Amino acid sequence: MTERLTKLEAADFINRSFKPLPRSYGDALVEAALQDPRIVCLSADLTPPTETDRFRDELPQRYHNVGIAEANMIGVAGGMARSGEIPFVHSFCAFVTKRCFDQITMQAAYPNLPVKIVGFLPGITTLLGVSHQAIEDIALMRSVPNMMVLEPSSAQYHQAAVEMALKHPGPVYLRMKRPETPPQESLVPQSLQYGKGVVCREGSDVTIIACGLEVAEALQAAEALAETGIEATVVDMPMIKPLDNELILQQAKTTGAMVTVENHSVIGGLGSAVAEVLADAGVGLPFKRVGVQDRFCEGGSSTYLLKKFGLDSQAIYSACTEVVKRKNK
Amino acid sequence: MGSVTGHNLKSLDDIATRLRLHVVNMVAPSGQGYVQQGLGAADIFTSLYFAEANLDPQKPLWEDRDRIFLTTAHNTAIFYATLAERGFFDVSDLNTYVNDGSALEINSCERLGPFVEATCGSLGQGLSVAVGCALAAKRQNRPSRFYVIIGDGEMQEGQVWEAAMLAGAHGLDNLCLIVDYNFVQSEGPMDLVMSLEPLSDKMRSFGFAVQEVDGNDISALLNAYDTARNTPGKPTFIKASTLMGKGVSSLEGLMFHQLRFPAAVAESARAELSEKLHGADGA
Repeated sequence: MTERLTKLEAADFINRSFKPLPRSYGDALVEAALQDPRIVCLSADLTPPTETDRFRDELPQRYHNVGIAEANMIGVAGGMARSGEIPFVHSFCAFVTKRCFDQITMQAAYPNLPVKIVGFLPGITTLLGVSHQAIEDIALMRSVPNMMVLEPSSAQYHQAAVEMALKHPGPVYLRMKRPETPPQESLVPQSLQYGKGVVCREGSDVTIIACGLEVAEALQAAEALAETGIEATVVDMPMIKPLDNELILQQAKTTGAMVTVENHSVIGGLGSAVAEVLADAGVGLPFKRVGVQDRFCEGGSSTYLLKKFGLDSQAIYSACTEVVKRKNK
Repeated sequence: MGSVTGHNLKSLDDIATRLRLHVVNMVAPSGQGYVQQGLGAADIFTSLYFAEANLDPQKPLWEDRDRIFLTTAHNTAIFYATLAERGFFDVSDLNTYVNDGSALEINSCERLGPFVEATCGSLGQGLSVAVGCALAAKRQNRPSRFYVIIGDGEMQEGQVWEAAMLAGAHGLDNLCLIVDYNFVQSEGPMDLVMSLEPLSDKMRSFGFAVQEVDGNDISALLNAYDTARNTPGKPTFIKASTLMGKGVSSLEGLMFHQLRFPAAVAESARAELSEKLHGADGA
């Protein structure tokens, strides 16, 4: 006998499982909202996939589904922020940045309002294909004055990401990736420091600077490199703006070779930001950007896509061996 | 003298004439600008800022104030003249209009002060902000009302309809959208670019209570705001038909978005408005 469906969950289209995905950002937002009555939550009809279903159910007076209208959502959030509230607006990364860029600049960033823009489905990691992939969002948001850009590397930083978003008085772009597996029992929330990167692993031959899900790939690559005698430092750089310039320059000095890794185009994102810091300081070194190589991609499972488009640990491994070779020439 | 809900219409008419005189004086030095729109909208600005809206120029950030959003942010000569005459800043500052370094830019922007409720030069965005304010005011139990002066051509922007849909769906009766229906957009008459008609039917179908008024009749405008305030459960849309160049006989009805404004025309306009004002003073 087939099981009778009693509840339909919106599918997430990240992987091909029908198991509901765990919620970590969404819990952190509710906890923050219980402490701070100014926090309100807006969704453009993507509430479960942006983990805001708990907020909807527990704080309905402070939640609005504004319909499938992202440009309007940004303006509405601006109005609420002008009325003393702190709106967190939610959609997929592709829609909550690219589709409403003008509105973000004029109704959130120029007036420097506390509008917190939260995107899910970062980069290429979705089955939904090119329309739902955001490979330009960091480049766009990073270029906006007053904007903070933040991409946590895993669920243990989601609470800290909400804290950082609240700590920044103006607009914030939070680029979120839902965990695809339930969190481990041992998961302990970790803190972040404003404008600081996190050194996850130390090695003297090459520095890998990564953000988001690429931090895990970078750590895997570092383990493989260690087996060949190359020791890599891995930096998790959750805050892409403001960027930890000091750490970048210090790493350039210490290891003398650098690879950046991002689930984003290599144009305008983390790699570009790091290159700007190095160039401005007059630092030259063997350097390579791992990311989407100025092309559009396609939908698929994360593992498949990271491999196909050169964003997996193997691609990072190759980039590192290349820069180390150039350094030792 | 007639009066609507206690307002002295004669005195409001004089204010409107004084604002029109400012518009002429502000636009004249550059020889071009938004003089026709300013003259046309003077009665909307007068009725809102000097009668209807609950404002305190000494406390522009007063939380329970009514908020007026000018989303056709280029119609600044009349906007700045209104703000100055209402006491938000010195009337003498109007002399710096569109000068380099002046905060009185051609498109209004909140660097001028918090009484510019949003930066709306990019058309179609202001109604969304007002809707956000209106939703927040409902949540916070504030008595504030939210007035949006929108351009007719501006209503071609899709975002206006996203915002209208949300306002209608939530029955935001603290929101009043006034279209300055002067029938001209950048490239000419609206029906030659893209007609909005039947506009009132469209807004009604989006959940608004609709009124059509002569936008150059202050008493009609005040009655319309009054009706809006007393219409529970729905936002109001006021289609205020205005005449470009209203109040200056040589300019009335000239339908140009950007008007060249030669010194001689400016001089005769100034003379006509001054006479009207001083004649009024003497009567």
